[in-house]
Amino acid sequence: MIERLTFAHPAYLWGIAALALPIIVHLFNQRRPRPLAFGAIEFVLRSQRQKARRLRLRQMVLLALRCLLIAAIALALARPSLAPRGAQTAQAVGPQATALVLDASLSMRYRIGQKTLFERARSEALASLDRLGPDEPATVGLCAGAAGFASGIAAPSFDRLAQKRLLQSAQPTYLPSDMTGCLAAAAKELGESPVPGKRIIAFSDLAAHSIRLDAPPPLVPSPRGPGVKPNIVLVDAAQGSDLPNAAVIATAVRPSASLGPRGYEVVATVANNSERPVSGLQVSLKIGETTLAKGFVDVPARGAAKKTLGAVLPAGVVTGRVEIARDEAQGLDEDDGQDFVVHVPRDVKALIVDGSPSSLRTRDEAFFVEAALAPARTGGRIAAQTLDADAAAGASLDSYDVVLLLNVPAPPKAFAEKLRAAVAHRGAGLFIALGDHVDPDAYNDALGDLLPRPLHLIKTAAEPGAPDAEEHAARFGVIEWAHPLFRIFGPAEREGLVSSRTYRYALLKPEGAASHTLASFDDGAPALIEGGRGAGRVLLYTSTVSRSWTDWPIRVSFLPVLQQAVSYLASALEERQPQAAQVGGEREVAAPQGLLVAQILGPDGKPSPMRREKPDAADAIAGPLQLPGLYRPQAAPAKGAAHEDLSLAFVALLDPKESDLRRVDEGELKAQLGGAGSAQVAASSEAAQGTHGTPLWSGLLLLGALALLGEGALTRK
Amino acid sequence: MTLDPALLARLGPLQVRARKVMEGVLTGLHESRQHGHSVEFREHKEYAAGDEIRHIDWRAFAKLDKYYVKRFEMETNLRAMLIVDASGSMAYGRGALTKLQYAGICAGALAYLLARQGDQVGLCIAGDGGTVKGVREFVPFASSTTHVQELLRELEAAAGRGPTLLPAALDFAAEKAARRALMIVLSDLFDTTEASIPALKMLRSRRHDVLLLQLHDREELDFPFDDPTRFLSMEDDRQIEAQPRQIRESYLAEMRSFLESTRRELARADVEVQQIATDQPPDRVLLELLARREAA
Repeated sequence: MIERLTFAHPAYLWGIAALALPIIVHLFNQRRPRPLAFGAIEFVLRSQRQKARRLRLRQMVLLALRCLLIAAIALALARPSLAPRGAQTAQAVGPQATALVLDASLSMRYRIGQKTLFERARSEALASLDRLGPDEPATVGLCAGAAGFASGIAAPSFDRLAQKRLLQSAQPTYLPSDMTGCLAAAAKELGESPVPGKRIIAFSDLAAHSIRLDAPPPLVPSPRGPGVKPNIVLVDAAQGSDLPNAAVIATAVRPSASLGPRGYEVVATVANNSERPVSGLQVSLKIGETTLAKGFVDVPARGAAKKTLGAVLPAGVVTGRVEIARDEAQGLDEDDGQDFVVHVPRDVKALIVDGSPSSLRTRDEAFFVEAALAPARTGGRIAAQTLDADAAAGASLDSYDVVLLLNVPAPPKAFAEKLRAAVAHRGAGLFIALGDHVDPDAYNDALGDLLPRPLHLIKTAAEPGAPDAEEHAARFGVIEWAHPLFRIFGPAEREGLVSSRTYRYALLKPEGAASHTLASFDDGAPALIEGGRGAGRVLLYTSTVSRSWTDWPIRVSFLPVLQQAVSYLASALEERQPQAAQVGGEREVAAPQGLLVAQILGPDGKPSPMRREKPDAADAIAGPLQLPGLYRPQAAPAKGAAHEDLSLAFVALLDPKESDLRRVDEGELKAQLGGAGSAQVAASSEAAQGTHGTPLWSGLLLLGALALLGEGALTRK
Repeated sequence: MTLDPALLARLGPLQVRARKVMEGVLTGLHESRQHGHSVEFREHKEYAAGDEIRHIDWRAFAKLDKYYVKRFEMETNLRAMLIVDASGSMAYGRGALTKLQYAGICAGALAYLLARQGDQVGLCIAGDGGTVKGVREFVPFASSTTHVQELLRELEAAAGRGPTLLPAALDFAAEKAARRALMIVLSDLFDTTEASIPALKMLRSRRHDVLLLQLHDREELDFPFDDPTRFLSMEDDRQIEAQPRQIRESYLAEMRSFLESTRRELARADVEVQQIATDQPPDRVLLELLARREAA
């Protein structure tokens, strides 16, 4: 108790020396009686006997009251206060420069009933501000985001109005917070105040993820040597209660062949951040306002579970949302759902030009290609039409996304021009497979720069059907597995591609326009080579798509590679789920060719902040992203109106760490903040007020007044 | 003219003072007739013709059915014993006179008066230091002028000291008086043993005429002290510190009760009590006393 007693102005304690005055007066009175020989002493004795004891008592009471009066006044002037348990006495004395740190992180949006933790914390902070003494400078900071304070923190001042306004207008963010960094920054700012006492009152949910226990304790810089430990009070906005919370922490969208064309499955990862398992939690998939699928999931305590919901999605850019049912009683509503964007590939129209039609299907060049692109295998995404070379030469190519030339003799010039126009200007794709009808020189002449590299000559590694053909046949050597054509192959499936045998293939001339080898044979000769031509692409396969030069078409690895190749050439390569951005982070938005990113609309429909690397750059960097949800960039030509380009759309996701409101261990937290002597955790700001200690001086003054009254009453008698 | 104590105090030896007081008394008495003769019952005698009818003892007649006449012995002079308390408390008096001095003046004046009319006067000074317990000095009955002078000398020499031994002195005086006498006691009756009043009653029960002049200093009656005081006993080593203001009320009540109970108790025993404050002129006091006795 005594060691918790602190004084704001200890010098006044010298006033207690004035206690000597009444004692001297008392002793003086004791000695002063003059002697008198008195005849009727018997009556004096009798009278005095009755009163003597009372009188002596009264003298003592009077002395005590006078001493009390002086002591009370001296003590009251010294402004004593009773420091709360565990507070550091050295700094808890007198007025204190105070930093009020309000946690404005996402987890503070946690709702208990109708009120959020943030609302509770804000009212506690306002109450704390009101309780500060007039001689205590203060500063207010909102802790959110990686930078520490959302909008910085000022040096302590007496501008109570501004501080109050800041607190009243404060809103929680969707960002994570770094409470440790905020406390350190607040402590640094307290160093600006000349007031010797330093105190930080932080209002937070004390979530473990916001506090780094391995960080050094916050120190107020001191010009004389190392920093001073401030008194820190952490006011627990949750008042010690558990904060169970379920959240959608990840969403993946992938095509599902079982659901038919454009069938997709959306996999939501649901985390249960509570001590009890959750069963039968409803998960729903929404596209726009329409709920496409619903399901239920059981999630173990402190664990996560995945729920897969299937749906057929429309082609194009699809935005949707996965949600779990909201808990009415309490919880963090903001993480109960996640938005997603998925690019559903468009339908592709392909023209197969069959260079050697045959009534025997197994001899027909187009047979294996047609089989690979059959609607049953592609989900109807690819519509293929087969023409022979002559018919194709006369046909219009405008409606086709991809043209496949299969063992076609060197095309006539007109057809070649049409092909060049379709590829270079319209962005169509051209797939060229060779065969017996191909004459390298004629091809080089007819197609010229359309070929990735000019053909050189046909190489026969082994004669098909020869006894040692298997042994001498070429195999695929180097394959660029990361390329869209091959990335579908997992490590276990690659063998199916590598094991195919190729007996004959074309060798290419080394010179040529820009090209890129995707796969080569084991002798280093290119097998699949890609070249970009204008807006389109050309893919050259140096062998046949029939069994005449290779056995690859009859292997299972042939079908997906061909499907991928057609989609790739048509720029409609399967689904694409743009990488999600993080709330609080930035996202680079690449402008489409010839356009620039004009603005980016946030989830609230308002333009989101953005910047450009260079003033004249077309691309933009969106951010910092403040809200979770869908961001829709608008693109515009150099001169013209902006229009929304959904292919650039992306979502910003919440930090899943914020969904876990597990509290930090109080003991470890105190240790990190500099020990129980300077840090304490309180349930409310009432307790926070305790850091200035319970003021005792008013009580002492009252005591003094009572002593004065008592003294007056006794001396009047 | 009255003789106030302050004036008396300046008058020098007791003879002068006592004489002055006596003169004052005599002046006051002026026309009052002389008396002093008293009668004392001696025996019964059977009634015979010629005897005074008023002397028939009717009580005896009721008992014996015969007439008896009371026969008296005529006494020529009164015998008076002045018993002066010379205990320590009698030495108190911060005014002109101490109580003992005042008692001496009164006693001296009375001695003059009594001797002047031929009565025999004796003196007993009650106090310690004498050969007999309680009697410091004793002067037997006599009425000559020289006797009075001796008596005055004793009175003047008496100093107030020691405890109150009045009861022993009263017993001694009663014994010395042998037959009925007027016992004039001058004391403040401040007696820790509280035996003085029973002794006075006893004296009266021995058929002595008892007159008590109870003397008090004005300060003892009014307790006018303000400052804290250590009160010291004048008869023993008791002492006490007190705040007079705080105990005044209680003191005065005690004092009133003492005076009242003394007067009431002695009156019941037929002892005449005159309570005197020593700031009163002694001649006036004595004059009143004599007038009252005359009237009785």
